Amino acid sequence: MRTTTILALLGGVLLSVAQGCGGDIPPPKALVDARTDYAKAKGGVALQVDPTDVHEADLALQRAEAAWRDSQDVKDEHTIDLAIIAQRKAQIAMAEAAASKAQQEAQQAKADLEAAMASQLQATRGELGKTQQNLQQTQSQLQQTAAMNEEQKKKLADLEAKLKDARDTIAKIAAVKDDDRGMVITLQGEVLFKTGKWDLKPAAMAKLDQIADALRGKEQPMVVFGYTDNVGAIDMNMDLSQKRAQSVRDYLVTKGIPSDLITSQGKGPAEPVAGNDSIEGRAQNRRVEIVVKPKKS
Amino acid sequence: MRIATIALLPLAAIPLLCVACGGSIPPPNDEYSAAQADVGRAEAGGAPGVPDAKLHLQLAQEDLAKSKTLIDQDNKRAADLIAVARVEAQLAFSLAKQQMAEDQARHAQGDLAKVKGGQ
Repeated sequence: MRTTTILALLGGVLLSVAQGCGGDIPPPKALVDARTDYAKAKGGVALQVDPTDVHEADLALQRAEAAWRDSQDVKDEHTIDLAIIAQRKAQIAMAEAAASKAQQEAQQAKADLEAAMASQLQATRGELGKTQQNLQQTQSQLQQTAAMNEEQKKKLADLEAKLKDARDTIAKIAAVKDDDRGMVITLQGEVLFKTGKWDLKPAAMAKLDQIADALRGKEQPMVVFGYTDNVGAIDMNMDLSQKRAQSVRDYLVTKGIPSDLITSQGKGPAEPVAGNDSIEGRAQNRRVEIVVKPKKS
Repeated sequence: MRIATIALLPLAAIPLLCVACGGSIPPPNDEYSAAQADVGRAEAGGAPGVPDAKLHLQLAQEDLAKSKTLIDQDNKRAADLIAVARVEAQLAFSLAKQQMAEDQARHAQGDLAKVKGGQ
């Protein structure tokens, strides 16, 4: 009876151990967490980035599973520690993969940034080059304009000097004055023509030669006005004054004054410069005026 | 009597096996030093400045301190705690590394967006 009791007790103990080894006992939470995180690591980018880390997690998990199979004790510290180690290894694999991915993104962003900045720099340099080119063109144009202005000033000064010389020359042979029409050269009718005629006297030609020499090359518009006194019919005086003005104009053209710059006009007894009631006055009124107009700038 | 003796033999062997398992494990001094190095690496890697990493760093330090008290008394348990401390420290380092890399990526992408926005 005693032997039977001992055998029964031993059998009960063995049965209990056998039941403990069965799969019905839920594993410790740490192992469940380790399995979950390992599955995440294996299914995520970690396996592609660095399979070694995932493999280490796998080995650690296998050790934890083996410890659990051996112990079947949810409170077994060794099993729990191995499960924690397996979970941490899986988490390390995921963190390393995430870090690697972020590093690649940072490198890509930096490379893109450098490219964008290089592109901007190139564009800025291009704009700067254009601006410099425009500036150079503007400076060149400015210099040309300044040179032209200087040249024009010089030409004007030369022209004025020549005009003054001409005026001085003409003043020796004819009366010269300035009024609102320009420079007025007055030649008395008796000097130029015989009474009632419009053919130039030889002496008149000599004077006109000097005037033509002085005015040649000035390129200033001129008008030759013919005047008479008030003796005689007005029509006759108008005709005579026109013909005399035309004679002077034509002669000056033969002496080199451009024909398109000089015209003539007869005014008859109009615009007298003296009274017609005296011989001297009438002599002064019989005249030819050559008006040299100011050059249009 | 004979049968009882046979039945009790496995029970008598249990204490002997326990002594063999615990007592034969040498003190894990090298592992302890390696764990200290892992903790130092995590600290230098910026773990104290990253909340998740800081938590695992603290766990590593706690496990390491606990293991120190167990060395020469329960070397097996001490070795387990040191192993856990090591992976906690390594995870702290990896999390800090991840955070810094993500910060750098965000920063670089922000700079890029600014430059592209200015174009």
